[in-house]
Amino acid sequence: MTTASISSTSAAPDARAGALLASFERAGYTRLTPAILQPAEPFLDLSGEDIRKRMYLTTDPQGRELCLRPDLTIPVSRDYLASPSAGTPQGFCYLGPVFRHRKEKSEGDNGSSEFLQAGIESFGRSDTAAADAEMLALGLEATGHYGLSKPDIRMGDVALFSALVTALDLAPAWKRRLIKDFNHKSSLAHDLDRLSISPSHARPEYQGVLAALAGSDPKAAHALVTDLLSIAGITAVGGRSVGEIADRFLEQAALGAQTSLPKETRALIEKFLAISGDPDEAAAELRAFARQAFVRHAKVALDAALDLFESRTGFLAARGVDVSRIRFSTAFGRGLDYYTGYVFELHDPGARVMGQLVAGGRYDGLLTRLGSPKSIPAVGFAVWIERLAALQGAA
Amino acid sequence: MSAPFVIAVPAKGRLQENAESFFARAGLELVKPRGARDYRGAIADLPGIEVAYLSAAEIVELLAQGAVHFGLTGEDLVREKIPDADREVVFIDALGFGHANVVVAVPQAWIDVLSMADLDDVATAFRLKHERKMRVATKYVNLTRNFFSAHGVTDYRIVESSGATEAAPAAGTAELIVDITTTGTTLAANGLKVIEDGVILRSQANLVAARSADWSSAARDSARIVLDRIAAQTRARAFREVRTRFAGCDAALLAEARERFGVETPFGGPTSSGMITLHCPPKHVHELAMLLREKGAENVSVAGLEYVFSRANGLYAKLEAGLPPPA
Repeated sequence: MTTASISSTSAAPDARAGALLASFERAGYTRLTPAILQPAEPFLDLSGEDIRKRMYLTTDPQGRELCLRPDLTIPVSRDYLASPSAGTPQGFCYLGPVFRHRKEKSEGDNGSSEFLQAGIESFGRSDTAAADAEMLALGLEATGHYGLSKPDIRMGDVALFSALVTALDLAPAWKRRLIKDFNHKSSLAHDLDRLSISPSHARPEYQGVLAALAGSDPKAAHALVTDLLSIAGITAVGGRSVGEIADRFLEQAALGAQTSLPKETRALIEKFLAISGDPDEAAAELRAFARQAFVRHAKVALDAALDLFESRTGFLAARGVDVSRIRFSTAFGRGLDYYTGYVFELHDPGARVMGQLVAGGRYDGLLTRLGSPKSIPAVGFAVWIERLAALQGAA
Repeated sequence: MSAPFVIAVPAKGRLQENAESFFARAGLELVKPRGARDYRGAIADLPGIEVAYLSAAEIVELLAQGAVHFGLTGEDLVREKIPDADREVVFIDALGFGHANVVVAVPQAWIDVLSMADLDDVATAFRLKHERKMRVATKYVNLTRNFFSAHGVTDYRIVESSGATEAAPAAGTAELIVDITTTGTTLAANGLKVIEDGVILRSQANLVAARSADWSSAARDSARIVLDRIAAQTRARAFREVRTRFAGCDAALLAEARERFGVETPFGGPTSSGMITLHCPPKHVHELAMLLREKGAENVSVAGLEYVFSRANGLYAKLEAGLPPPA
């Protein structure tokens, strides 16, 4: 191992990382240096409790929660939103330390809780496919910069799965569940067996309520729930309204016997999640899948997502990326629920370094959730500097 | 002089009273030679053992650091504050007081939420509708995170709370809570209910040993003495001594008593004259006395036990199994 030679990199990023940033700047990305100390709220709300347990949190004298930034995507997004250019197409690059508590040196680099990330965030571009392709091309430049010209390229597309689930003839509770689980599992397929909703309607005490609600309109359901609460002497407390509770009862009534995923639907999802290969093969398979699967459902839901997918592949080829080397899988996700579309990771084919070297994707919903009044498309990636440096040392 | 063996006990409240009477019953009288307001004490007649009166949070912290040998505290705090607690400490004995459950509680108005599966569904629906995650107020951050993760719930965020957690939903600072409850009345008074499968931990006061403390042979000796007395007292409290003498007292009868009442024969079978001493759980004493007289006993005496010292010390064995071999 040669990782020792690059300990304490944060104080003095190695010259190679500086040169990488210069190349990002030459490609038209403005360098940003967001504050290291960030308000904790956006990370807690957007990144989930898994990131939180690895965050360095502190409180200022006014009681506000602050953290050492665990990544740079949210800080760069916030700086962009606070700037006069918010809402216009802008591209930024960055290089600096991030902080995540790590107990063991299990991730292939020096295992420090402070490590360097470089990266790019591109906001507001409406040429989605071209912007997506540019991110992967620049990510490949980053590994190439460290001497790895042909990393493993793993790719997925969250939007395809969302489109499939939206098109399925399923109760809303099922759709929510499937999309949530997809975002939090690298392979949902293995989990389908265990997937079942065990809703209140399986219980005798709820049969009457649900039978009374079946087929009724939201207004009637609202009235019934209001009455139930008042009979029970409950004055509503908590963040869910009577309307939300009524809506969920209606959903459950409509759910009927769908306590586990209908066999046919499950088979369809499994077939979908088994599709993988290079992007051209995968696209052809997906087209065929959509033609067969949706005849009965009379929905051509995957078409828009597939058009974008194929257009992206075209832009990748035009940028000189050898698309036959890309391993696309419909089941591939990055485990963060802010990704909304295309996602990718670059890995060391020799597995000398564990974990992704470069990773990113499209997160069109993030800026709205950070407070942007209008929706701003966004795509980007991060580079793990120590891992790449370790790889170079190992070579 | 070698470093003392340190036992940390709660410095105030009901838990302190319970701890003191627990030790007193075991013949370990906690004394404060320098006055009642002192935070350092000792055990009467047992030199070399120091008693540190500390807050519950400090006890757990010092156990984690190995700065004390034994601590008396709630399992909830140990499991919350020490990640992977079983690797750092040994839970030697549950003491039968300080009972409290760590539970997930939601507003009573959520009549559609009975189980963690319901909560999972509602959490995701909440995020989609409100564009933010449901907030869980708690001081049990780690217990909450692990429990929610085990149930696949991901659409939530924790709001750390240091006091009056149960008021958070009504105050609008959280949608639900994870907190301790003994009877549930405080939760109910705040319009909250416990989710059926939402009991994270059934906690009670425990005698806990720090694996990373200085376990010198002197420390082990002290631990053995303390645990010997505790074990002797625990055993004594679990039984009554039953004595009798009659000719018909044979192995078959003893087997029946063992089978039906959990009776033990600490000194072996009857003597040639049929003299026998039995240890019987208190609730079966009368039934046993009936049986013995049916079989021919004229008189049966029953007495309380002060201590029962056994060669095998189960508590010490449990501690030793969790420690590195002696140097």
